[in-house]
Amino acid sequence: METSSAFPRGEASVAEIAPRQETSVLQRLKQSLDIGSVLLIVAVAVGIYNFIDWSQVGSLDFGIVVKFWRPLAIAAGMTIAITATAFMLGLLLGVCLAVLLELPIGPLRYLINAYIELWRNTPLIVQLFWVHFGLPVLTGISTTALQSGLIALTLQSSAYLADIARAGIQAVPKGQWDAVKALSLPARTKWLEVILPQALKIMIPPLGNLAVSFLNGSALLGVLSVGELMTVAAKISDYTSKPVEIMTVVALLYLAINLITTHLTGRLERFSGSRP
Amino acid sequence: MNSFDFSEVLRSLPELWVGLQYTLLLVFVSLACGTVIGLLVCLGRLLGRGLLVRLCAGYTMIFRGIPDVVLMFWIYYCGPLLGGVRPSSLVAALVAMSLYVGALLSEVFRGGILAVPKGQAEAARSLGVPEFWVWTSVILPQAFRVVIPALIGVIALTVKVSGIASTIGVTELVYQANVIAGESYRYFELFTAVGLFYFMILFPMSMIAKSYERKLATRQR
Repeated sequence: METSSAFPRGEASVAEIAPRQETSVLQRLKQSLDIGSVLLIVAVAVGIYNFIDWSQVGSLDFGIVVKFWRPLAIAAGMTIAITATAFMLGLLLGVCLAVLLELPIGPLRYLINAYIELWRNTPLIVQLFWVHFGLPVLTGISTTALQSGLIALTLQSSAYLADIARAGIQAVPKGQWDAVKALSLPARTKWLEVILPQALKIMIPPLGNLAVSFLNGSALLGVLSVGELMTVAAKISDYTSKPVEIMTVVALLYLAINLITTHLTGRLERFSGSRP
Repeated sequence: MNSFDFSEVLRSLPELWVGLQYTLLLVFVSLACGTVIGLLVCLGRLLGRGLLVRLCAGYTMIFRGIPDVVLMFWIYYCGPLLGGVRPSSLVAALVAMSLYVGALLSEVFRGGILAVPKGQAEAARSLGVPEFWVWTSVILPQAFRVVIPALIGVIALTVKVSGIASTIGVTELVYQANVIAGESYRYFELFTAVGLFYFMILFPMSMIAKSYERKLATRQR
């Protein structure tokens, strides 16, 4: 850097130097890594090509998926319906819990916090078995696989959503709370027309991620054979003994549903103005 | 059904201990492999160009978008296609979890590095700090501090996901509990015990993450 040392760096004002420093660290390294990245991609592609057993790939028969498209489509719809139902019920329950948390009742708050932490800090698969096999023993009411799957998914989503709703409610500007108090609005108006609409708007961005994770969670209901996508996939692959084709297509179906969900929540965010 | 018999749980502790060992194995190995994958994908996305960036973003998108159960079954069945040998259920679960954790961690790392204000690196460079030290003593320490809560979240998620490995027959905690409960029909007691057990691991983690998040928030103010 002999030539640049002639330039009196220390004396130049920040305004003079700033526009010249447009290349960031990342951009500089990007330029030097250009050839390396191409080589890396080629190496990985060759590695994967050699790794795959092409004679077996050739014997795959994706016609089986076309043959069973109807049950697969119905099951995919079922998956979406289960997730949506659990999500909506969970949202309702979660918002109620978050509102109850704002009430100045000590024991109630402890109870709700315990509920939230309990459902958030155990795996869904344990919850499923617990609800399906445990609750009937405890209450004497036995539930079908679909019911217990829905109950477990709803309760778990209510815990996650209560946590998000609490953060949303606390993020509503203090001036709004003061205004409600100054106008001495009744509790009903305060929550339904002032606080919750604003809190819901704040809640939307994290909801997208959560929806995707619940959709992935709903695949676990296949363990109880509820009749959603994973159950049907397991049944068809047992029946036809072509698990590779079925699982590949099912994985792609889940991926497609998830991508659409992500896209839709992104649009919802822009629509509601919680993201520019 | 009026008798809750937790002695069944105590009697089956040796089997549960075996399950716990497999759970821990799954968690630690997949976290280690996932960290390597996550770092590579994150670096590819931040430093690469064009195709590489798109490939790395695609990796994250695909493995975050496919449910873990489906991924495990897929790798379990596709073994003959990919390596010529059918993987054992343990290997299939490990591979699936590593890929999944790698996808999650790549996003976490990327978020951390991007969260460091650009001015920090620019300031270091304009002071003549070598590129190596710009990364190791300016960007990465700050990124790490921001990332800790999310990192704990990923570890907790890995513990939860390890239970799914029971669906392809890995003899970890949930699988063992299922087997024992199937014999004695003490589902309620066993799954309460297993659930409490997971809770005892996961609850401290989430508490630490939450308190750390609060600390970060107050510092930024």
